[in-house]
Amino acid sequence: MMSNLSIEHSLNQLKVLIVVAIMILIGQRIGYGIPIMDAIPGIIIVVALAMFALIIKESFPNIKFPAFAYASLAALLLSMPFMPTSEWFLRYTNEVSFLGTTTPILAFAGLSVGNKIQKLKNLSWKVFIVAIAVFIGTFFGSAIVSHIILKLQGII
Amino acid sequence: MEEKDQLSKNEKLLKTKGRMGTFLKLYLTVLAIVIITETIGTQTFSVGPGQVVLLPMLFAVVIAILITPNLLGKVFGFLKGIVSMEEVKLASPMVMLSLLPLGVKYGTLVGPNIVQVVKAGPAFLLQELGNLGTIFIALPLALWLGMGREAVGATASIAREPTLGVIGERYGISSPEGTGVLGTYLTGTVFGTIFFGLLGALSVNTGLHPYALAMACGMGSGSMMTAASGSLAEVVPEMKDTILAYAATSNMLTGVTGLYSVIFLGLPLVNFLYDKLSPHIGKKRREKYEAERGNNDE
Repeated sequence: MMSNLSIEHSLNQLKVLIVVAIMILIGQRIGYGIPIMDAIPGIIIVVALAMFALIIKESFPNIKFPAFAYASLAALLLSMPFMPTSEWFLRYTNEVSFLGTTTPILAFAGLSVGNKIQKLKNLSWKVFIVAIAVFIGTFFGSAIVSHIILKLQGII
Repeated sequence: MEEKDQLSKNEKLLKTKGRMGTFLKLYLTVLAIVIITETIGTQTFSVGPGQVVLLPMLFAVVIAILITPNLLGKVFGFLKGIVSMEEVKLASPMVMLSLLPLGVKYGTLVGPNIVQVVKAGPAFLLQELGNLGTIFIALPLALWLGMGREAVGATASIAREPTLGVIGERYGISSPEGTGVLGTYLTGTVFGTIFFGLLGALSVNTGLHPYALAMACGMGSGSMMTAASGSLAEVVPEMKDTILAYAATSNMLTGVTGLYSVIFLGLPLVNFLYDKLSPHIGKKRREKYEAERGNNDE
């Protein structure tokens, strides 16, 4: 499969990211008292890495790796302690609050399920109970395994 | 093929030409939600032995779901003028894009702790198997409730997009297995963040170490992981950095291994257990249920 990259689409994505960045700046000003001006260099770096992740993802459509993971991976590499970039990179991105980035996502996510409510209502209540059991089982299944292994390794 | 269609659909949705109104309404709605929820801020209170942490993102998802056309939009007509199905549709590709700044933030949490993360490598890999634990709890329950083959789809995994794809391809999405997987998927999409946002903080009371709980937060869904690890970190703030780093790493790993784990482990296991257990658990209820379904078909 060829690259899915298109300049028009990338520009549209960039526009959305800029709007989201503004929302983050306003949200974290209200919620965590971070002055908007202080956070501007950091948010520009964040948007640049996000764009980078999208471009990589669409240039290599055969690798089934989500853009979210590319974005994390790029930031991870830049912030490793032995990297020359880590000091300035962390200094600027620290002005972007972790929790501040989460509210716009969940607002979009909540709105986006709007057309699934009717489908959900049509399902049996049993499905709902079973789904909750699945959530609990997945969560504690891996927590118990992690706890045992971390203990064996002497990390906890 | 389907993925390609999805891609071009998202591409079309993001075109601004002639749709400025939809974009503007959606952006202003989300901005209003952000302003309201950040003003409320994080609310923490004790319930019995545990602590409930309500993060702004939790308020955001609840408000956003409530104002959609089929809920409060039905009651208050004017809401439909702001959030119609057009805005709902556009919100979907926005989720993926707005997740990216968070992805960058997670990277900045893992990077400085990379040595610690690598040291915990064996735990990260093996806990992926722990995700299969759900089958042993949820499948017997589903059978006891009288579910048929729906149980296979519903309990094979936490049913994020890769599982939906695998089961849809193997059994067809309108098969009983497809109905089951869709049920868990929809419940997770609508209630997942709320549920894990609460569970993340309360889980500390089980006595499991917060680091182990942090690894469990990575289940292959960015928003569920964020809700769970965010509220967990709020309860044990002195471990915040490691908790977020572990959760993000585990989620990344699940993103890579999740699909294969469903194909090679989850589905074979759930099918094996279904054959073993279904003659013994909930047989009467299932027969009754299947007879009813048969009647409905006629």
